[in-house]
Amino acid sequence: MIAISMMIGTIVIFLLMRKLNARFSTPLLLPVLTATILIIILLKSFSLSYATYMTGAKWIDAMLGPAVVSMAYPLYAQRHIIKQNMFSILTSVVIAMLSGLVSIIVFAKLLNLSNDYILSLLPKSITTPIAMQISEAIGGFPSLTAVFVIIAGITGALLGPSIFKIARIEKAVSRGISLGSASHGIGVSKLTEYGEKALSMGTVSMTLSAIIGAFIGPVFALFFH
Amino acid sequence: MKKYIRIVLQICILYLFSFLGTFVVEMLHIKFPGSIVGLLLLLGCLHLKIISVQVIKEGAGFLLGILALFFIPSTVGVMNYPELMSINGILLVLSVIISTVLTILITGKLCQYLEGRKAGEEEAQ
Repeated sequence: MIAISMMIGTIVIFLLMRKLNARFSTPLLLPVLTATILIIILLKSFSLSYATYMTGAKWIDAMLGPAVVSMAYPLYAQRHIIKQNMFSILTSVVIAMLSGLVSIIVFAKLLNLSNDYILSLLPKSITTPIAMQISEAIGGFPSLTAVFVIIAGITGALLGPSIFKIARIEKAVSRGISLGSASHGIGVSKLTEYGEKALSMGTVSMTLSAIIGAFIGPVFALFFH
Repeated sequence: MKKYIRIVLQICILYLFSFLGTFVVEMLHIKFPGSIVGLLLLLGCLHLKIISVQVIKEGAGFLLGILALFFIPSTVGVMNYPELMSINGILLVLSVIISTVLTILITGKLCQYLEGRKAGEEEAQ
């Protein structure tokens, strides 16, 4: 009984928060963010543990795999764009991955973080569902990774436009690729303002970045075991 | 009604790919997310026309439309990490923010340079 209400409750809260976000569109009212906070408050006020919550929520979690597989569809649909811009996309996505990884490792070392934390931080620029699976594969904590990923996304959505202005990043292609590979889906949603080309570049580089990250991540992870 | 049955069936196909991917990774004992193997398998099948886009299009669209729902169970897991609400936690969040800003800056600049060079080459020809 508790399990079913946890599952249905999560779905209902998510749909409500999505409605709220549709009315006031800002990355700070992101449905994942608001739904997560609301669910934690509810669980705490009824003194329910995360383990109890997961007895029902695990059925939603089980859909993560097929959802990741689904990303093959938009990637396939946009194969022509990828072919046309192969060199710039691949080079930029790889450089984005490396600069994200190196900079976060430097900060993590300065903060003297434990290896589990560093492993959870490594996939932060990758889209949440894949980042969590990479985190699990390399020995991090998927829940922490999800939080870092969302922070990276909100950063891109909120600060991206100012970075573009200050650094004079003006081309649609460059804006799409940089936000897509640094701030995944949350950043990409901001790209609608820069037109169709920036948006499709963002989607493509988000997915490619996730695939490339699944290969590079475990290599970097070897240093933290 | 027919549409919903189609979506459910297509999700089953996507689930099968995810399951296959996980199975391959477990068989090979490698540290790699199984769902990505599933994604690459599906991409390969679409590319080689082994399966048509029509077979997964609606199911994939449906799942991607509510993608954020599927990671809520994990994000709620931060309730087990109260240490994030400390000075160190705030510094950690700050590092993620700075690292992301640097990544956007470096990538955007590099990409603009690459695009500019490509345009220059095309003009020269």
